[in-house]
Order: sequence, then structure tokens, then C-alpha cells
Amino acid sequence: MLELRNISKSFGETIAVDGVSLTVARGEMVGVIGRSGSGKSTLLRLINRLAEPTSGEVLWDGEGVSRLKRRDLRKWRRRCAMIFQQFNLSPRLDVITNVLIGVVAERPLAMTLMKFFPASDRADAIRELDALDMGQTAFQRAGTLSGGQQQRVAIARAMMQKPDMILADEPVASLDPGNAEVVMKALQAAAGARGIPVLVSLHSLDLARRYCTRIVAMSKGRIIFDGSPSELSAEIVDRIYSAGANRNPAVHLAEVGAAA
Amino acid sequence: MMNQDATPLPSPLPGLALRGLLTLGGIAALIAMMVDLGISPVALAGGFTKLGVFLLAMFPPSDGGDLPRILKSLLETLAMALAGTTLAVLVAAPLGFLGARTVVGQPAFHFLFRRMLDFFRGVPVLVWALIFVAAFGLGPFGGVIALAVADIPSLSKLFAEAIENCDRGPVEGTRAAGGSRLHEIRFALAPQVAPILASQSLYYLESNFRNAAVLGIVGAGGIGFELEERIRIFAFDEVAFIVLLYMVAVALLDSLSRRLRSALA
Amino acid sequence: MTDAPDAVVSAFEAERRRLLHRQWIHALLGVGITSVILGLSFHQSQFFDPEIGANPIGRILEFLARMAPHLRTEALLEGREVDGSLASWFYDLPGWLAALWETIEIAVVATVFGAVAAVFASFLCARNLMPWAPVRFLVRRLLEAIRTVPDLIMALILVAAFGAGATAGVITLTIATLGGLGKLFAEINEEVDPRQLEMLDAAGAGPVSKIRFGVLPQVLPNYASYILLRLEINVAAAGALGIVGAGGIGLELQRAITYTEFSTYLAILLLMVLVIFVIDMTSEAIRHNLLLRAEKS
Repeated sequence: MLELRNISKSFGETIAVDGVSLTVARGEMVGVIGRSGSGKSTLLRLINRLAEPTSGEVLWDGEGVSRLKRRDLRKWRRRCAMIFQQFNLSPRLDVITNVLIGVVAERPLAMTLMKFFPASDRADAIRELDALDMGQTAFQRAGTLSGGQQQRVAIARAMMQKPDMILADEPVASLDPGNAEVVMKALQAAAGARGIPVLVSLHSLDLARRYCTRIVAMSKGRIIFDGSPSELSAEIVDRIYSAGANRNPAVHLAEVGAAA
Repeated sequence: MMNQDATPLPSPLPGLALRGLLTLGGIAALIAMMVDLGISPVALAGGFTKLGVFLLAMFPPSDGGDLPRILKSLLETLAMALAGTTLAVLVAAPLGFLGARTVVGQPAFHFLFRRMLDFFRGVPVLVWALIFVAAFGLGPFGGVIALAVADIPSLSKLFAEAIENCDRGPVEGTRAAGGSRLHEIRFALAPQVAPILASQSLYYLESNFRNAAVLGIVGAGGIGFELEERIRIFAFDEVAFIVLLYMVAVALLDSLSRRLRSALA
Repeated sequence: MTDAPDAVVSAFEAERRRLLHRQWIHALLGVGITSVILGLSFHQSQFFDPEIGANPIGRILEFLARMAPHLRTEALLEGREVDGSLASWFYDLPGWLAALWETIEIAVVATVFGAVAAVFASFLCARNLMPWAPVRFLVRRLLEAIRTVPDLIMALILVAAFGAGATAGVITLTIATLGGLGKLFAEINEEVDPRQLEMLDAAGAGPVSKIRFGVLPQVLPNYASYILLRLEINVAAAGALGIVGAGGIGLELQRAITYTEFSTYLAILLLMVLVIFVIDMTSEAIRHNLLLRAEKS
């Protein structure tokens, strides 16, 4: 179970995440919605510790992860797999190696640096790819694939990490509608069949309603709605998306800057 | 009727006069410099006459019966270029890594390091060769060191820029999956940088084949030595032969390197 | 995931073995050929010579020690006659500065004449300005040939013709500048907006006024920035010309080596590098400015 306790993050003067508390249980698929710059992306990065919180705590099964260092931190990152809008694969490496990067935190350093992985890892990797219908591309360079295919490779890598949780930061924002459905279904399968909690930030309210079991709406770094998709009334949606004052471009810029 | 408020067009005269003055001043400065350098019409006429004689003496080109030796020194020049470029790359790769802002995040260090590289970038290879041949004795060794030393500043800078311009996405992807700093380098940075590094190195090999051809002048062997010897004794038919042979070699190396570069992309 | 068909895994492993096999052969061949070539190259360059190639680091250090000037802190600011002062290290500063000035003059004069020649050459080999293909072909080959011959080899021949001195240096760099800039200018010319040329054609303009009113206004900012870049290159190149007798600071360097005054060599080298550095920085600033102005207009 993931628990956020009063977590905040500011970039200089601008506050991206402002005292958020949140609990996510196994098997939940949580859609995080909100305008650009509402703090969704930063929130996910705080959990994986790609960004460090200014204050507050992240706990997993009651244990704090904010003070983990080096090897322990890397193992924590392995456990909460992250999926990005721009896939973040290594374009010049082949697909299978990109998937195998999911186990580097658990294998001896020298071996992984020589790109040597045990046969059992290779078998796992190809099975994960095959499950997403990507087995045929194993030896192609990741950069030669289409966006939808690359995101599927990224999901295979995430699964390869044997994650306790999946964080997906706008996973479908760069994809066409068809591929978006494929990726959302894969995430849903992970949450449903494997019981892994999934936190997915989304632009599309429609996708959030159809795939998520729970929706969290953010505005100006705060949670303004937390409930089931059916509870999300038109009035709340209006509050999330219409208020011009909600828009905080500085936070968006800071997030983009942190991601770059 | 003219509008009273309209500002009158500025007279073109002052601008034109200024430009004319500047042009005249420039020409005067140029002539003063030429006088200072001792460039006189008489000397020019005499020189060009002699040059004409030399050019006539170049035809027909002849190998002077020494073709094997010429070919050997051409290969020696190529060997020096290869060795010098290799040394330069071996030193410049780690230096470029240190010089990349994204790797070492110290602005002061970065600034000083880059300025150091800029400072030594302009020294011509022959100036280095003169001193290294004096240090290590006649022969190619000093020349090779000179080639490497002359390349290292600019090559390091290019490598540093290549590393800085890398896409950060794969780095973040590797980190998010639990990769360490070394994994980020191995799986995200190296695959992006290596092809650029290789193709820049090939460029430097091409340019070093040209640079190595002059090293013989200060006693570092190779084709430059053969040329200097023959210019000294006015054997211009042989000079022409060597230069033509060398041009063919340059064209061959360039096209080979171009092919390798496009295969790398 | 253990329920996926094992056929997928075995097919993958078979394909992987096939690819690995091929990769190994390629890698072995590549590494083998490369190391043989590099080994021969280093061997030819005396790196394995027991006397020269042995302990190169030690020799470089020893050599650096010989290059280091003899300075004493208490005498640093004393006059030229006092041993260990800065002035005794830079004992011929006025002479070196005069030689450096000559180097700069050589570079400036050669850049000006070379650039003017390059402008003419570039009009002769630009596809949109020179209708006769044979002329374009000849001029282009000529420029290429100039770029292939190292300028110091040219300088050797020109010193033989013009005698030792700056004249040979100026002519060398003028020719080299023609070769370098001619090609770049031709490329710029070919990117000229064709509509302006058509307009002038329609107005019945001759080739000279076409160049004057249709081409020059568009290309001048680009020309200027390339000329400055070339000036930087020429100052550095002129520094070496003296070594073959073509005038400038190189002569002083050569003299220092002849008398094995290595610390003097270091002094002149530092002076030269400083001058080149200052000129580079100034010219870079101007070029940056030109670029901004060209973008604005």
C-alpha cells in the first residue's frame, strides 16, 4: 500500500505540489487528472524519487522511502516502475536490451555493464514483449519503432521490473487513439490480473472514466477531488478545467525543466 | 501640399561621406601594412617570374626513380595521422566527459575548463611539432605527439558538446528503472555519444592526414620531408609528382572516411 | 509471466545465437584489422622504440621541467639583467611583439586579398550566376586543389620563389584563403533568393548590376562572418609560417629552438596563444553581432 503524507514540492518560488496526502491500495487504478501545471507530473516523480520532496513523506507498507540512498534507492525505483510520455527508451539499443534495463538494479554491476543477462532474464523479457505482441521486434533498435510500439516496450520494461506499483506520467499523450487504448488496456491488465496499483496521469477525462477505478483531480498542486468515476460530476469537472486562475504556467515550466 | 509634421528625410550625405572615409582609411591601412611587410612591386614581379619558372619545371611530373621511397613516406604520413588521431581521441574522450556541463555540474569548473581548451585551440600543429621534435629527437614520435596535442583542445570541446546535447529522456528512463550512474552512462549516454565521437574522430583523421604532411619540415619524417628536400634542390618535377600522388591519397582517405561515417549514422 | 509459450523463448534464443555469432565475427574482424593498422602506425611512429617510445610520460615531464622558466619570487619584478626575473624570461619582449605584429599584418593583408579573390571565384562557380558549366567545373577543381595542398608546403615553394620574408607568407595565405572562402562563398551565392535575380533580369540588368543589386545585398552579412572566421584561422596559420622562413613570429620560435632556449620558446608560445585568443574572442563577438543583425533584417 502506498501512502503519501502531506507531501510538498516547490521549485524556487513556485509551489508545484502543495501538501498532498493520498493512499493507494493494491489493485487500484488511479487516474490523476488536472490541467497542465497542476502538479500531476511532479507528484508521480516524487513517489519514484526522480524529484525530492521539499517536505512530507512517502511510505510503502508503512515504511518511509524518502531517506533511501544508493542501492536501496535504486531498488525502490525498480519496485515502482515509471512510464513516460516520451517513452524514454534508449533509441540506439535494441528492444530486448531496453527491456532488460528493468533488472539492472538487481543484478551484479559488472555483468549488466557488459550487457550480459542470465537466460532466465532473457526469457522473462521476451515473454513480456510477446504478451504485448512485440516479440517480433526484439532485435530492432527501439528508435526505429512507432510511438505506440515504443510505449509498449516501455510497459514491457516496467513489467520486467516486477514492480509493486506502476506510475505512468501521461503515457498516451503522444499516441494516436488506437495505440492509446492498447496502452491503457495493458495498464489495466497490470492492475487487474497482477494486482499492482497503478497511478496514471491523464489529459483525457474520457480515458480516465473508462479505465480507472478511482479518480484524483489536482489543481494548483492540491487534490480537489478524490473518488470513483461515477462521483465525478459535471460541476467538479468544470472546476478542474475551466477556472483560468488554476493555470500556473510557472509550475508547468518548472516540471518541464526538471524533466529535461 | 507637404505635411508640416513630416520629419524631413535625413540627408544621405553624412552617411555616404563616413563610408567613403572608412573605405579610404581601410585602403590606406592596408597599403601601410603592405609597405611595412616589405611587399614591393619589384619583389612581386621577380617572385612571380621565378614561380612561373618553377611551375613550368613541374611538367612533366616525375618520380625521380624513387617511387618506393615516396610511397613509403606517404604511408609513414598516414601512420602518423592514425597514431596522432588515436592518441588525441584517447585523451579527448575523458576530457570531453569532464567538460560537459551535464556531467560535472560545477559552473566555475566548467567555465575555466572550457576557457583552457579555447586558449590552446589556436596553436598551429607545426609550432607544437617544432618543440616536440626538439624534445624527442628527429623522427615521427615528436610529430605524432604534436598532432595529438594540437587536436586535443578542439576535439575535447566537440565531445563535451556532443554529451551536453544528448537527449536526457533515456537517462531518466534508465534511472527510473533503478539504474545507477554507470548504467545511465552505459545504456543511455554511450549509445548516443559513441557514433558522434567516432564520426568526429574520422573527421580529425582526415584533417590530420593534411597536418601530418607538413611535419617533415621540422624533421618529423613523412611526405613533408621528401617535399622539402626536393624544393631545396629545385627538383620541381618530382615535387609535382609527390603533390599529385598526395592529392590522390587525400581523396581516397576522404571518401573512405565518408563511407565509414555514413555507415555509423 | 511463466505461462507464455516456450516456443517464443526458444525461437528468440535461436535468433539471438545467430545474431551474436554474426556480431562476434564482425567484432573480431573489426578489432583485428583496426589493431593491426594502429599497431603498425604506432610502431612506425617509434612508440615501441626502446629509446624514444619508452617512458613517454617521464620524458614529457622531464621536458616540461626544461621548458619551465627560471624564476625567483624575490626577483620577479626586477630588470632584465637580474637572473630569475620575469623580464629576463621575456628578455626580448619588444622584438617578439614586433614579430607578432608582423604575423597579424600578414594575416590581415592575406585575408583581404584572399577574400576579394574568393568573391570573384565564387561568382565564377555558382550555378545560378555562371551559365557555362566548364568554367564552373574548372574553378571548383582549382579551389579543391588549393584546399588539399597544406599551406606550409605552398609556403616552402613560395619562399623559394620570393625569398625569405613576409611576401611569401602573404601570398601563401592569400591562396589558401581563396581556396577556403571561394567554396563557402559559392555555397552562399547559390542560396540567393532567385526572385530578386528574375526581377533584375526582367528589368534588363546586365551580369554586373545583377551581382551588385541582386546578390551582394543578400550575401554580404554571411560573407563578413566567414571572412572574420578565416581571419582567425589565418592569424594562427601565420604564426607557423615563420618556421619555413615566411615571416612573423615563427622565425623567433625557430630561433629559440636552434639555440635550445626552451623557456624562451614557452614565453613566445604563451604570448602567441594570448594574441590568438584575444583576436578569436573579439572576432567571435563581432560575428555573433553580425548574425543577430542578419536575423533581424
